[in-house]
Amino acid sequence: MSKESQMRAAINQKLIEMGERERLKELLRAKLIECGWRDQLKAHCKDVIREKGIENVTVEDLVAGITPKGRALVPDSVKKELLQRIRAFLAQHAT
Amino acid sequence: MKMEDMSLSGLDNTKLEALAHDIYSDLVEDACLGLCFEVHRAVKQGYFFLDDTDQESMKDFEIVDQPGVDIFGQVYNQWKNKECVCPNCSRSIAASRFAPHLEKCLGMGRNSSRIANRRIASSNNMSKSESDQEDNDDINDNDWSYGSEKKAKKRKSDKNPNSPRRSKSLKHKNVLLGPRQQAADQEAPCMLLRDGEFPQ
Repeated sequence: MSKESQMRAAINQKLIEMGERERLKELLRAKLIECGWRDQLKAHCKDVIREKGIENVTVEDLVAGITPKGRALVPDSVKKELLQRIRAFLAQHAT
Repeated sequence: MKMEDMSLSGLDNTKLEALAHDIYSDLVEDACLGLCFEVHRAVKQGYFFLDDTDQESMKDFEIVDQPGVDIFGQVYNQWKNKECVCPNCSRSIAASRFAPHLEKCLGMGRNSSRIANRRIASSNNMSKSESDQEDNDDINDNDWSYGSEKKAKKRKSDKNPNSPRRSKSLKHKNVLLGPRQQAADQEAPCMLLRDGEFPQ
């Protein structure tokens, strides 16, 4: 098991060092804005804020209220594209 | 499966697939967190709900496009011809000349200290003679030498360390005075007693 976690750690490190993680992040961000995910989630944020009150809302409130919905709302096409790129990276550098 | 059976070159396919999904989940979570931080800051700084202003209030903030007026509707050169009263000398000064006048009037700023120093130096030169070298001693430590007037001028530029001209004028001085005086300048002043140069 520890060998597996070692491999995972090594791959993650490579992902960061080669700048690929940053590129994937940017790609995801651009796609999510394009498909309207960001605006949808912002509207949901407004609900959370109105519920908690502007003065009292904390980052934790927002994170707890937003993240599950955010995960679910990612369109399938975006998810597919990202997974494809990740798999390509792994195929190239995990062997 | 023993450890040795696993290929040394990497993980098998199911593990790789799981890893890919984990990486993807992390990326999505990063995106969500980024949004949360942005929204939270917007809420706390007060600009989150700006888009919800009603139409009527929005009209108050429309861009102004009239001649003679800036985009906020303010006249932008109305202060050009106004006059201000100087708090120091109580004179009425035009607005565009006010800042330089204040500099001279209060005695602050680069030019006013230079002018003042020049005035001091020239008044020193006019009121002094050869026999007044003892007075010069009191003002400056460096006294017993032939070209004391020139030394006074040199002291004046020392008093103004922020002036960019300092080193330039010193260089000029040394060229004009000649090599003997240059040697004199560099030695410790009180050691400098030359025959025939101290007036009796």
